[in-house]
Amino acid sequence: MLRIEHLTKSFGEKKAVDDLSLHILPGEIYGFIGHNGAGKTTTIKACCGIQRQDSGEIYIDGISMREDPLACKAKLAYIPDNPDLYEFMTGIQYLSFIADIFGVSTADRKARIARYGDAFELTDDLPQSIAGYSHGMKQKLAIISALLHAPRLIVMDEPFVGLDPKASHLLKEIMRQICDEGGAIFFSTHVLEVAERLCDKVAIIKSGRLIRSGSMEEVKGDASLETVFLEMEAEQ
Amino acid sequence: MTRALLKKQMLEVFSWLYRDRKSGKIRSKGSIALYALLYLFLFGMLASVFFSAATMLCEPLVQSGLTWLYFALMGLISIALGAFGSVFNTYSSLYQAKDNDLLLSMPIPTRAILLARLTGVYALGLMYELIVMLPTLLVYYLAGSPSPLSVVLSLLLPPLLSVVVLTLSCVLGWVVALISSRLRRKNAAIVALSLAFLAAYFYLYGRAYEMLQGILADAQAVSEGIRTALYPLYLMGKGAQGSILAMLGFAAIVLALFGVVYLLLSRSFLRLTFSSRTAARVRARKTGSLKAGSVSGALLRKELRRFLGSSVYMLNCGLGVVMMPVAAVALLLKADAVRNMLSILPGAEGFLPLIAAAGVCALISMVDLTAASVSLEGKTLWLVQSLPVTGWQVLRAKVQLHLLLTLPPVLLLCICTAIALRLLPLQAMLLFCIAAGFALFSALFGLALNLRLPVMHWTNETVPVKQSASVLLSLFGAWAAVGVLCILYATLQNFVNPEIFLLLAASLLGLSALALYGWIKKYGARRFADL
Repeated sequence: MLRIEHLTKSFGEKKAVDDLSLHILPGEIYGFIGHNGAGKTTTIKACCGIQRQDSGEIYIDGISMREDPLACKAKLAYIPDNPDLYEFMTGIQYLSFIADIFGVSTADRKARIARYGDAFELTDDLPQSIAGYSHGMKQKLAIISALLHAPRLIVMDEPFVGLDPKASHLLKEIMRQICDEGGAIFFSTHVLEVAERLCDKVAIIKSGRLIRSGSMEEVKGDASLETVFLEMEAEQ
Repeated sequence: MTRALLKKQMLEVFSWLYRDRKSGKIRSKGSIALYALLYLFLFGMLASVFFSAATMLCEPLVQSGLTWLYFALMGLISIALGAFGSVFNTYSSLYQAKDNDLLLSMPIPTRAILLARLTGVYALGLMYELIVMLPTLLVYYLAGSPSPLSVVLSLLLPPLLSVVVLTLSCVLGWVVALISSRLRRKNAAIVALSLAFLAAYFYLYGRAYEMLQGILADAQAVSEGIRTALYPLYLMGKGAQGSILAMLGFAAIVLALFGVVYLLLSRSFLRLTFSSRTAARVRARKTGSLKAGSVSGALLRKELRRFLGSSVYMLNCGLGVVMMPVAAVALLLKADAVRNMLSILPGAEGFLPLIAAAGVCALISMVDLTAASVSLEGKTLWLVQSLPVTGWQVLRAKVQLHLLLTLPPVLLLCICTAIALRLLPLQAMLLFCIAAGFALFSALFGLALNLRLPVMHWTNETVPVKQSASVLLSLFGAWAAVGVLCILYATLQNFVNPEIFLLLAASLLGLSALALYGWIKKYGARRFADL
């Protein structure tokens, strides 16, 4: 579903991502962990076509992001760590805008907005201006908008930040459901307990380089993911 | 603590000079010097207008023994310009700054935050006010034969008058904040209020020469009137003339007034800051239609909502949209007077279409929506970059909105101009051709400039809309384009008649627009994707 091959991206002298390769298969929830500034967000942005890589290739469902970014973007949804949305729109206007861009039919958008709006308890707030939303409400709106076109792949940067426990639980359920239906999730997080419980596979990145990846069992063995992560951080 | 806050505020106020707004990095010294020169040039151009007014007033008033009146009148003008220029900046700086939450969460007294914010407003007011006061003082020193004491005391005027400007801006900014916290359609109210200000400004500006002549003709009566009704201005003038006591009196009044306003503001600051943010929340709107639409329609609606959602954007970049219908109606009402005025020019009949075209194009240049449209994406840029739309589709929507808002008033203005100036049908058609060509050119020119000089890091919309190089260059570039066409006609007038020239000019604008279109589509869209 998502294949990253030898991805390299530098900012000036600093290599933010260095020769990173990952393969996320359909049905997988893939966690991406690393310390602050390790290169997680840069990798994620490159996967979504927001940031151009210096070298390497990214394929979404077999299509090259470099060669056909629009086709790739149509298959995925991105949820950033800080959801800066259009504050001059109401929630419903924003969702309608996203649905128009992805070509979601009237019936589908109505059904999905009702379904996810109710699930995230945001329906009553949708007619209000986004400028008046709290961080959590914006995050919920960003998640609903990401689900509107039923994407095959969802790429998320710290998706649980700002969400209340109920919404966090709901998001985890939705993530699993998408994967059960043949989709894939690639997300970064600092909450290692969540990653350990939720992810099928995990990748650990440090200073732009991949230091370990594989199934959760392969990576952590008998220890906790936190212990393994801290040991690796100390070793490198 | 106060020092740290003031330093932060000054860094924010002058960030346009030293920080690259695209990357957020500090500019090189050479680049800072270039930007400083550009702004000095603009400052000088504006100041030259007031230099003429000062020259007209100074000598006669000084010779009549009414030196104080000279300072009082020029001081009044500088206060009006300063307050007009900084009132909306005051509102957004005080109540809408994005770091209000951060500062309010720290152990900083509210009054200290307010004081730091006001220092920023003071600095901006001082810049506006110096546009008038620098030529005022210069003319006085050259033509007024001042005493050394008068020179020293008059130098106190700019900083003191800026306190007056600050006080007025605070009061007006507070009114704007109050309106926006209570009204449903606050952007419309703010725009209406601003247009009222602007109408008053243009009315006074239009009558400035007549008023100055009137003042000079009846200086004694005017001086008596000001002395009675506006005594602090009399004190200011006398102070600048060399009276220490008068200057002390003026300073005391100014500082006392500011002190009162500061105390009142500090009491309502928190309430208005919170209500300006929460007002949007309590206002539930209709859910609206969820009917599916096209991608281009969605992008265009997004641009339109951004425009209607920001009074700062509407006022600063869309003023021409309102000014054109106003000018059209005014032209119809004053058609005879305009024709009589133009008939004074030798051979005016022959080049009426050209005068009309220059006037219409000058008004079109007041619409520079595209010049700030890329910058206004700001922190939401990730959205369009992550969606399955090309950079060109996003940019095209920006141009479409510009034209959608500009062309209908352009058509109305052209029709009214043609009627008022009794142009022939062919001339009227050519007028519309050149006006439409100019609107297209300025839309693409502004967009290209904004793609070259984007301002993506801002905490306040006034930065990309009012203080960015792309908006300034777009405005002056459009004027320069009108100037170039005028010079071109002056050069070619012996070879082509005005109608042929209009056709040539329209073609030239069309070709330039085509070149800009090609550049934006090929390279601009790529730049946008890489921002």
